[in-house]
Amino acid sequence: MYLKNLHLQHFRNYPEQSIEFTGSKTILLGENAQGKSNLLEAVELLSVLRSHRTSRDRDLVREGEEVARLVANLKREDRGNLEMGMVLRGNGRRSVALNGVGLRRQLDFLGVLNMVQFSSLDLDLVRGGPEMRRHWLDGLLVQLEPIYAHLLQQYGQILKQRNALLKAIRQGKVGFDPEQMALWDAQLATTGTRLARRRSRLLQRLNPIADRWHQAISGGSEHLNLTYAPKFDFVDTNAIEDIRQAFLVRLQQKAIAEQQQGTSLVGPHRDEVVLTINQTPAREYGSQGQQRTLVLALKLAELELIEAVTGETPLLLLDDVLAELDLQRQNQLLDAIQDRVQTIITTTHLGSFDAQWLSSAQIFQVENGTIVGKV
Amino acid sequence: MVYTRPLARLTRTFPASPRHWPQIGQRLAMHIIKRPEEEVAALAQALIDAKKLVGTCTTCGHLSAEPVCEICRAPARDDTMLCVIADSRDLIALEKTREYKGKYHVLGGLISPIDGIGPEQLNIQSLVRRVSQTPIKEVIMAISPSIEGETTTLYIGHLLKPFTRVTRIAFGLPMGGDLEYADEVTLARALEGRRDLD
Repeated sequence: MYLKNLHLQHFRNYPEQSIEFTGSKTILLGENAQGKSNLLEAVELLSVLRSHRTSRDRDLVREGEEVARLVANLKREDRGNLEMGMVLRGNGRRSVALNGVGLRRQLDFLGVLNMVQFSSLDLDLVRGGPEMRRHWLDGLLVQLEPIYAHLLQQYGQILKQRNALLKAIRQGKVGFDPEQMALWDAQLATTGTRLARRRSRLLQRLNPIADRWHQAISGGSEHLNLTYAPKFDFVDTNAIEDIRQAFLVRLQQKAIAEQQQGTSLVGPHRDEVVLTINQTPAREYGSQGQQRTLVLALKLAELELIEAVTGETPLLLLDDVLAELDLQRQNQLLDAIQDRVQTIITTTHLGSFDAQWLSSAQIFQVENGTIVGKV
Repeated sequence: MVYTRPLARLTRTFPASPRHWPQIGQRLAMHIIKRPEEEVAALAQALIDAKKLVGTCTTCGHLSAEPVCEICRAPARDDTMLCVIADSRDLIALEKTREYKGKYHVLGGLISPIDGIGPEQLNIQSLVRRVSQTPIKEVIMAISPSIEGETTTLYIGHLLKPFTRVTRIAFGLPMGGDLEYADEVTLARALEGRRDLD
């Protein structure tokens, strides 16, 4: 897949901007807070319909404007030329269009533009909190299985309702009604089981690919292992009804604690993705550099899996991260993607880049919401 | 000041409009101000009358100026069928089909802890009383398949099952809908609700 151009209007700090991509690598160069990452964020929104930086569309619309527009033209191997359009409004109402035709369901927009994001925040994927790893996994699932986005949204709504009920019980506003609670439990368990199974299955597919990349980059023979670890007895090979039962059993066990704390304690919103190297938890293993190697392996595995499943090479978005990798890892990344993967890179300085990255790249200077020129 | 003072006051008199109708107050005000005075006076009177006279039916909960609404009083309607809906608007939508000859029960909302709505805030007690004390053969749950709708449907289903047969409306493809273009969620629902060919 190739992103040919991107047009932004009233998006973040951009008044109006078009950008034509001509090569396989594009570098956006500029000081902090000039709008480099906003460009990547626009691509992220078109790809997965959400931004990892904000959940409010108000933040995405330029100050003093009501409406922001994004238009992108891309070429896919399987579907040819496509024009993606998105309108964002301050009041949160969005509309999306494909080839100029408005889509009633935003779900149909998912899976059109595939991408792998690698930002400097991802370097903490191993050491950071479990929500980072869940978020990473969800971002990948939404691209591979668009229906997952629907399940995720449904689960979020059930969770919100159930938490509101638990909170009201704790505050003494309502009495405990076992009938009603059983229904929220059942819905949470049904949708939660579906999420857990899909997450677990994805990790199983990702595992051998990530392991292979990890060995290739580290030059070692340690084994990387990725497992999904829910807060209830979970055996992925069990029938869906058995998994659901285990979920319900744990909810029963936690019922008192949930009422005391006024929040849901069991479910995919609390689950963990466990990364181990030779059976040792990765966060306790090795130096910061070795953990960066692991993250790089995960990202390359993501890239390979999307390609294997969709038959298209996804876009690679490197947000402020390339300069954080040493020259050896930069080269390993370059070897892996070569000219095959279209890559958009943001950076504040070119000094720490290997010359190979610069030689073939298209370089834009970004200043205060405008691309002021080519370097 | 963009609006002259009386117009601004009129715009503000629609402050409690639902949040998904932005600027409804402004639009209505601009429209009303252009109409002849008699028409506006009639509108004002109609608004006051509607507010004063319309309450809810003591039997089914539908909007009604009488203690018992027209549908509940209609002798031609089937007393043994009851259709449970969330809102009076749903009743109007169902009536437009002219397919249903039974009676209704309006809940007045859905179970939604976020909004502080539990079973006690809805017309559920009166529904159970109605079903347990009158010979009803079937209760049809006609509630949207949202998270809140699902919980409400199942909650009421449990309560009514000891007394009568409880069914729910089918969810699936719209008429004229193309199977190929249906989304997976709708298709899965339609598959779940499949039935034998007549």
